[in-house]
Amino acid sequence: MPQPQDVRAAVRAMVEAAGLPVSEDEFEKFVEMYPTLRAGADSLYIEEVRYEEPALVFSPLAPAPRA
Amino acid sequence: MTTPTTIRDAAAALRARQVSSVELTRESLARIARLDERVGAFLLVTGDAAMTMAQQADADFAAGIDRGPLQGIPFALKDILATKDAPTTANSLVLDRAWADGYDAVVSERIRATGAALMGKLVLSEFALGPPDPTKGFPIPRNPWDLERTPGGSSSGTGIAVSTGMILGGLGTDTGGSVRIPAAVNGHSGLKVTYGRVPKWGCVPLGYSLDSIGPMARSAYDCALILQVIAGFDPRDPTAGDAPTDDYIATIEDGVRGLRVGVPGEYFFDHPALDPEMKAATEVVIDVLRDQGAEIVEVRLPHAAEAKEANTLTMVTEAFAYHSMDMATAKWVDYGTGTRMIIARGAFYTAADYVQAQRFRSYFAKEAAKVMAGVDVLITPSVVEPAQIVATMDMAKRMTAPSYSGPFNLLGYPALAMPSGFTKSGLPLSAQVVGAPFAEATVLRVGHAYQQATAWHLAVPPIVQAAVTA
Repeated sequence: MPQPQDVRAAVRAMVEAAGLPVSEDEFEKFVEMYPTLRAGADSLYIEEVRYEEPALVFSPLAPAPRA
Repeated sequence: MTTPTTIRDAAAALRARQVSSVELTRESLARIARLDERVGAFLLVTGDAAMTMAQQADADFAAGIDRGPLQGIPFALKDILATKDAPTTANSLVLDRAWADGYDAVVSERIRATGAALMGKLVLSEFALGPPDPTKGFPIPRNPWDLERTPGGSSSGTGIAVSTGMILGGLGTDTGGSVRIPAAVNGHSGLKVTYGRVPKWGCVPLGYSLDSIGPMARSAYDCALILQVIAGFDPRDPTAGDAPTDDYIATIEDGVRGLRVGVPGEYFFDHPALDPEMKAATEVVIDVLRDQGAEIVEVRLPHAAEAKEANTLTMVTEAFAYHSMDMATAKWVDYGTGTRMIIARGAFYTAADYVQAQRFRSYFAKEAAKVMAGVDVLITPSVVEPAQIVATMDMAKRMTAPSYSGPFNLLGYPALAMPSGFTKSGLPLSAQVVGAPFAEATVLRVGHAYQQATAWHLAVPPIVQAAVTA
């Protein structure tokens, strides 16, 4: 996923979508941190993973009742 | 007699009537009274209850009732585990106290049934993740080897309490290194168990698909004694594995002759951020194991750096799912400053990123399985560097720093942090033994073999000696 051209606007939109009541100082820290976070996530989109199934587990059986 | 420093020795002394549980518990309470204000290990000390449990343990010994090696042993639990007789806070103002009110987590139940003397609830990083925030009213944990330095996290209180002998054993939880990091920087042993090996019901979640509960104690042997009690299926945890539980003591004395020890040079030994003393100490561990008859094999675990990213992404997004309803309210400011900034990162990943992390996880698991098919264990440093000075720690730098623990949470593998020496300035160093899924017995066997040849795990911070003789 490419880095957004306007990181500030992207971060603002995501903070608002999540409803986080962040301070301006916290918002600035998120803006500063976001490119590093995005680069970390992007590093997982590698060729070796292209045809992998996700390691998610779902059982159609109902979970055992709690004791 | 001298107070025993390990569970193994204390258990033997109790059975030989050389010491009583009441005496051990009194000594633990005395250490807590002398030291805890400076090192911040305990959120709550349940001294009266511990003494009652100790008296019961002694009465049971006298009556010929023996519930196993933890009977009468001073022990404590990270305050993320529900306990029926004490509040559970997760070190946070946010956790609903009713959530854990009046019942025991599976592991609390199992430890209680051993007849251990439960000393109280231990400090942790808020919700097993956030750095201490002095404005929230919780104790600030400090490294007993140097009070200016971090005791690591998130099981900081357990690490400090074991290191200083306030307890002989305790429980921590590990999602990205939270048992192994405090064990490493406080100078004792800590075992991250295979995902699902120990039921998590009654533990406040951090990353659902990564969390594990593990033993922390001075030695690998003591970790085995604790694991024997807490391992095994419970239907209340849907992720609990139903693989049979091994006898972790039966093979612990078997040594390493004939075992194949893998050394993943790439990332784990050649990263520029790796502290030279940490690296050198780990190489000496490998030499010791070679001298004991292990075969050393160079291996490559590809994309370990990306595995750290996948672990972090998974942890933060799963944590954000749990916390988002609270974070989007006025409770935002009830979280510690660092805690909310880390958990809220989960809002910045896409759903596709989470799925991609799980696709990467499948790939990485296959690659790791290929490596483990040729070796019995891997050896790496436990952490990149010794305990850092708190005042100079940088959250942004941590985002890009390597992790030698997180990749094994992503894999769900068992991993033991064990002391491997000291820096020139006197800070603990630590090496990690990693095994195949559910191969805790092999991991502990390797750790025990190393600890039979060395005594790093028995070292006690100078602050303790000063307090004991004061």
